[in-house]
Amino acid sequence: MNCARCLSRLQSFGVLGPSAKSAAQYAALLQSASSQPPVLSNTHSQVLRRFHGSPACPKSRRPVPSDFVEAKKDKSLVAHDDLFERVAKEAKTKATFSKVVDVFNKRDVRRRGHVEFIYAALKKMAEFGVERDLVVYNKLLDVFPKEIFVPRNFIQRMFNHYPRQQECGVQVLEQMENYGIMPNVETKVLLVQIFGEKSHPMRKYQRLMYWFPKFKHINPFPVPLQLPEDPVDLARLSLTRIAGDRDAKVTVYQMPCTDITETGEEITLPHIVGIQSPDQIELLARHNTSRPVFVEGPFPLWLRKTCVYYYILRAEPVPLDEKVEEPYDPERCFDFPLQLNLDLQRDLGDDESFDMEDVDEGPVFAMCMTSQGDQATLNQWISGLQQANPVLGRVPTLFRLDAGPRELQRAADTEPGRGHRPDPETDARAGEEEPRCEPEPDIVVEEEPRRSQGMKH
Amino acid sequence: MSLQRITRLPAARLLGSVCQQQLLLPSASPVSVSRRAVIQSPYRRPGQPKDDPPPWQKIKFDFSKGVEGIKKHFGLLKNEFFGRWVGPEGKPIVEHILEQNQVIWEFRGPESLERWTVSSDREVGGQSEAYLKLGRNSNTCFLYGTLCSTPPRDGETRYSGYCTMRSKQPLASFDRKKHFDWSSFNTLHLRVRGDGRPWMINIATETFFSHQKDDIYSYFLYTRGGPYWQDVKIPFSKFFLAHRGRIQDDQHPLWLDKINTIGFTLGDKADGPFQLEIDFIGVCKDYAHTEEFAYEVYKRNPEV
Repeated sequence: MNCARCLSRLQSFGVLGPSAKSAAQYAALLQSASSQPPVLSNTHSQVLRRFHGSPACPKSRRPVPSDFVEAKKDKSLVAHDDLFERVAKEAKTKATFSKVVDVFNKRDVRRRGHVEFIYAALKKMAEFGVERDLVVYNKLLDVFPKEIFVPRNFIQRMFNHYPRQQECGVQVLEQMENYGIMPNVETKVLLVQIFGEKSHPMRKYQRLMYWFPKFKHINPFPVPLQLPEDPVDLARLSLTRIAGDRDAKVTVYQMPCTDITETGEEITLPHIVGIQSPDQIELLARHNTSRPVFVEGPFPLWLRKTCVYYYILRAEPVPLDEKVEEPYDPERCFDFPLQLNLDLQRDLGDDESFDMEDVDEGPVFAMCMTSQGDQATLNQWISGLQQANPVLGRVPTLFRLDAGPRELQRAADTEPGRGHRPDPETDARAGEEEPRCEPEPDIVVEEEPRRSQGMKH
Repeated sequence: MSLQRITRLPAARLLGSVCQQQLLLPSASPVSVSRRAVIQSPYRRPGQPKDDPPPWQKIKFDFSKGVEGIKKHFGLLKNEFFGRWVGPEGKPIVEHILEQNQVIWEFRGPESLERWTVSSDREVGGQSEAYLKLGRNSNTCFLYGTLCSTPPRDGETRYSGYCTMRSKQPLASFDRKKHFDWSSFNTLHLRVRGDGRPWMINIATETFFSHQKDDIYSYFLYTRGGPYWQDVKIPFSKFFLAHRGRIQDDQHPLWLDKINTIGFTLGDKADGPFQLEIDFIGVCKDYAHTEEFAYEVYKRNPEV
């Protein structure tokens, strides 16, 4: 396969993008600068070596833009990291990163030291914020000189031709894979031009293109790449995600705002977003008013890299002897079931249920998310909930708030290397109903008679 | 050849392909010497001396432990002997042939936690922590801790930040290895409650050659988060083969007749606390699932 022809075809289709345009411009510059016959040029300054060709233009005639002149002055002993560090003093953007790569490319047509440069660039990508940009990876792969590392016979193919460069190519692809970036056809063309078809980087590219599409959409609960910035919208998204019912309705009880009190202090009010479904409203209405309900939290929920915390309102499971059996209609005919759930993909004799009793944890009545998880905010949530569930005014509400994962972490730090960490929570929960004299650092328990607040409405 | 090893995709990175997560095992630095050892030695933390005590120093005599050991092993031997009269694996043969569901691991007391090993990248010098305890009402197991993906500064390790929970190999009397036989089942059924993080399920089988020692069949476990329990059913045909964390080119379906261990790993690059609650782990036979294997077994050396 003639890569050069393929590349020129791609160029004409405009697949290669902006680099092609700059290459075309540069090619035009070349032709105007030198009076030699037009030479097929590659994406950037390097000219393809062909069978009968020779490097077309000598260094002296290449026009160098003035910005790069001062970078080239002390090029003799400059380590590659220094290039990036010098640019890092200005803004660290994609444009400056590309500029550094261009400086390196224009410096030498043979690209001496390109392996070290590429390793340094890979390390610096995260600082410049371009680690998820495929265009930058293609630009970095373009630093390799073309067609030199392609093995020309079976002996070269057997003996790992140019192992350092192949390893470097593999590391570029590995970093791409680390960030979950799918390569495109430009990457493939570059790899074929640089390393040939039976090389390690090409094999890695084939593996990427085989496995990535297989696993791209296997998440049954996909999280959008761009999470909403607004905390209320984020809370809305996560609450609909964890809700057990599609009919659940999200209510915003309080928007975040800053208030200035009489003394002139600024108080930031956190947002309170709650969710409840009609089934949960029904369950709560039927709840026995003598038994308390608990506000538990905060529980972590991870969406890609962000962790949000939610609180739930739940009741303890009803013990067996207190369970009330629903009376059935004496005129009901038992020959036919009231509900028929036929799973037509399964046989009638198949029993796929396990012989395990379900973990009985009591019903969950509502969930909420707020930035500040203290009792005052949660009280506000409960009073907001009361408008839809008047029974909350008559039911005692207990708060079972954990100190938060940060506190748990610090406690764990003081006891290193223990496999089964003794948990103060279970001890605290056992003695929760009794009034506690000393404050337990992990649990804040308070009994709140809601009746008084209910009567105010 | 180390290049060949590195070009293979790390299985945990496939999690990263869609969710930007992290490699589990430390990979060699770019300019490392290729280790041509035929038998790959277990991981030795850089800086640790190669200690190889002579065999006579490994024996420790303890009378009380010896007596306990005798009681335990002879008890197990007796159970095995009398169990054969009931049927294969101690169950009547009708039940063994016709059963469609079997619960393998459930967490009903502190002794159930003894069957699991928890580890994190503390062993290679990282700073993640992982702990295992019984959940509320002693009905579930609760794996929690913190992930920290700063790699240890030993010059060799490039990535870090993982933690795992792996079941111990079941042992018969006198510490003989026992295997699970799941050949009459085809789906793994778990009841979990996670926090939204993606986990990886690893199943290790009994192998013959020593090169296959680190062969693990893996698949992903995506948790939803939230207060509700999640039933996860993964057919065994979806598990792909990975060796030392790198997914292999020659794939074949998981053989169910000699399963050793199952494990859960977390390796996404998100630093912070994590938690996973597991109610039970069982296997079931789904007659509607007819797929033999989800990945191609042909085309070993595809042309470009």
